[in-house]
Amino acid sequence: MTDNSPSAAFEHGFHTVAERHERIWLFISLALLSLLMAGAMYFVVADYGVVVKTAGYQRHPEDAATGAFAVDQGLMRTGPNTYAVHMLAHLWQWTPSPLHVPQNAEITFYITSSDVLHGFEVQGTTINVTAIPGTIGKVTYTFRHAGSYNIICNEFCGIEHQNMLGRIIVDPANHS
Amino acid sequence: MSATTHGNIALPHASTDSAERRLMLGFLVFGFSALFIGASIGPLQALNYGGINLYPYLRPLLQTYYQGLTVHGVLNAYVFTFFLACGLLVYLPARELGLSPNLLLWRACFGLMVVGTLMLLVGMFDNSSSVLYTFYPPLKGSALFYLGLTLLVVGSLFPLPILLDLRGRWRRQRPGEITPLATYMSLATMLMWFLAGFGAAAELLVQLDPWVLGLTQTVDPSIARTLFWWTGHPIVYFWLMPAYVSWYCLLPKQAGGKLVSDPAARMTFALLLIFSLPVGSHHQYLDPGISPVWKVILTALTLSVALPSLITAFTMALSLEYGGRLRGGRGVLGWFTALPWRNAGVAAQVLAMITYIFGGAGGVVNGSWQLDNIVHNTIWIPGHFHLTVGTATAMTFMGVSFWMLPHLTGRTLLMPRLALASAWLWFIGMSIFAFGMHWAGLLGVPRRAWVSYMPQEAYDRVYGLAHLPLGLVALGGVILWLAVVAFYLVFFGSLLFSRQGTEEPIPFAQAFHRRASYAIGQPVGDLPGEPTPKLARALEHLGLITAFTAFITLAAYIPILWPMIRNATQATGWNVW
Repeated sequence: MTDNSPSAAFEHGFHTVAERHERIWLFISLALLSLLMAGAMYFVVADYGVVVKTAGYQRHPEDAATGAFAVDQGLMRTGPNTYAVHMLAHLWQWTPSPLHVPQNAEITFYITSSDVLHGFEVQGTTINVTAIPGTIGKVTYTFRHAGSYNIICNEFCGIEHQNMLGRIIVDPANHS
Repeated sequence: MSATTHGNIALPHASTDSAERRLMLGFLVFGFSALFIGASIGPLQALNYGGINLYPYLRPLLQTYYQGLTVHGVLNAYVFTFFLACGLLVYLPARELGLSPNLLLWRACFGLMVVGTLMLLVGMFDNSSSVLYTFYPPLKGSALFYLGLTLLVVGSLFPLPILLDLRGRWRRQRPGEITPLATYMSLATMLMWFLAGFGAAAELLVQLDPWVLGLTQTVDPSIARTLFWWTGHPIVYFWLMPAYVSWYCLLPKQAGGKLVSDPAARMTFALLLIFSLPVGSHHQYLDPGISPVWKVILTALTLSVALPSLITAFTMALSLEYGGRLRGGRGVLGWFTALPWRNAGVAAQVLAMITYIFGGAGGVVNGSWQLDNIVHNTIWIPGHFHLTVGTATAMTFMGVSFWMLPHLTGRTLLMPRLALASAWLWFIGMSIFAFGMHWAGLLGVPRRAWVSYMPQEAYDRVYGLAHLPLGLVALGGVILWLAVVAFYLVFFGSLLFSRQGTEEPIPFAQAFHRRASYAIGQPVGDLPGEPTPKLARALEHLGLITAFTAFITLAAYIPILWPMIRNATQATGWNVW
C-alpha cells in the first residue's frame, strides 16, 4: 500500500486547488440557475396565454355533465377574432371532438372532467392541462398553422386511456 | 496501512454483530427481490411503446399493461428503494460509529414494510388496484393496496429514531465533536423523509384509507394530488440521498482515494433537506386550482434544488480524480481511465454518475415551468426518472451489493465479470431507452399508455412520426432484460452457491482533514488537533434546519391547499381498468 500512499505535499496541493475551483464552480452554478430562472420567467410572461389558470370549481364533478359543459356547444365566438370552447373530458372521450377552429384566432379552452383525472394535450402545441374533476382550467392558444391536431389524453384514466383521442381541425384563415 | 483499513470497521459484540448483518441482509435481499419482479416486467412496457403487445400471452399472471405498470412502479420505486434506504441508512452509520442500533426498532421497520409489501402484492396481482404508483383518486383500488402502502410508509420512518439514538450515544462518548459524515448524511435524509411523510400520511390516513374502508363516500382529487406530491417530490431525494451516501462516504475509497471535501458533503445534504420539501407542487404546474404566483415561486425553489446536485457533481468528480491520479492517471482525462474499471462495484457507480448528469439536466427542464408545458406527462418524464432513480439510484445500489453481499455473508462474489457486464448492459440499455423516451416525448407521445393495444391505424396516425425513437425504447428494454438476467445470476448465485471467502470490510472513505475512523472503541488516531471547519460546525444544528424546513414547507403548502379546501370537491370513486 505504501507505493499508493499519497505524499502529504500532493494532498495539500490538490486540496488548495480544489478549494479555489470549488468556489468558482459554485459561482458558475448559481449564475446558471439564475439565468434559467430569468429565462423561465421571460417565457412564461411572453406566452402567458398558455399558463394554466383557474376558471371555477364544481362541488360535484358529475354536475359538469349538466352545466356549461353539458351540451356540446362547439366553438363560441366571444369577440372579433376570439373564441371559447368548453372541453369536457369523460371516460373515454373528448367533447366536442372533432372541433373546428379558425387559423390565427385566439381560442380559450375551458377544461374539466366529470369523472377521473384526464390530461388535455394537443400534440405539437404547448397546450397541456390537467383535467381535474371539480376544477375548471383555462388556457388560451392561437393556432398559427392550419391542419389536423391530435388531442391525446396524457393522464392515466383507466383501461381505454390509450384510445382517448380527439381531434382539432384548424381551418385556413381565408376559408372561414 | 492495512491496520487503518481494518480500523474502518468496528465489531462490537459478535452476537449483535451477526444479528445486524442478518437483518441488513434481509433488507438487501427483500429489496432486490422486489426489484427482480418489477424490473422483469419493465421491458414489456418498453416493447409496448415499440408497438409490441405481449400482455395477451401473460394472462392470468398479468391482465393488462396498466396492471403490469402498477406492479413495476410500486415494487421498483417504493419497495426496492425503501428497503435499501432503511437498511443502508441504519447499517452504515452503526458501523461508522462503532455502535449497535436499536434492533427492536429496526426489526419492526422490516416487519411492517414486509407486511405492507405483501398486502400491496395481493392488491396488485388480483388486478383490483391497477391505479399505477401515483394512485390518483378518484380512481379507487382495493383497501389492501392503500393499507399496505400505509404500512410501507410508516415502516420506512423507523430509521429516524434509530439514528437519533445512535447519534446521541456517540456524542455522549465524544463530546464536542461533529457527527461523522455517513451518520450525518443518513440523519439528514431521514429528517427530510420524516417531513416529507406528512403529505402521504395525510392523504392515506385522512382521505384514502377511510374512503376505501367505506367510512367516507367521496374524496377531493386536487387535495389528494397536492398531498401526494408533498411526499412525491421529496421521495426522489429519498431515492437519491442513500445513493449519495455511497458516493460520498464509500466510493472514493473504492476508487483508491479520499473524499476531497467533507464540509461540501454536509452542505449538500443540508440543502437537500431544505429544498426538497417545499417544491412538490411543481408536478402540478399544469393543474388548474393553483395560482400562477405560486408556480413562479415553485420554479425558483425547484431550480434551487439543483444546486446541491451540482455541488455533488463537482465534489464527486474531484474525489474520483484524486483517486485516479494516485493510481497513476496523468493528463486531463487520464485519471478517469485509471479508475478501477474492472471492479464491478466501482464501474456500476461511476456509470450511474455519468447517467445522472443527463438525468439532472433533464430535471432542470422539467422544473422550468414553461418547458414543462412541452414535456409534462409525455414519455419524456419516465425517460428522465429512469436515468435518475432507474439508473443513478438502482445501479448504485447494485454496485453496493457487489461488496455488501460478500461483506454480510462472508462468501465471495460469484462471477465478477458477469457483474461487470450487468453494469455495462444496464448503462447501455438505459441510455438507449431513455434517449428514445426523451425524443418521443418531444413528439407528444404520452406516458403510461397501452399504445400497442390501439388499432394500428390510430397508432400510426398519432405516433407514426415517433417510430424511430419508440423503436429505440423497445431496443433499450430488451438490452435491459439481459442486464437483469446478468445481475440476478450474480446476486442470487452469490447468495446461494458461492463459497466461503475472506472478510470484506466496509469501504469507508477518509475525507481530507478528517480521521480515518470515528468508531467508538477505535484509537482516535492521528490528526488529533484537526480544526473543524465553521461550516461543518454550523451544519450540526440539524434540529434547527429541520424546523426551518418545516416552516417553509407549511409556508409553501398552506396557500396552495387553502383555496382547494375552500372549494372542496366531492368525487365518487371509479374502478375502470
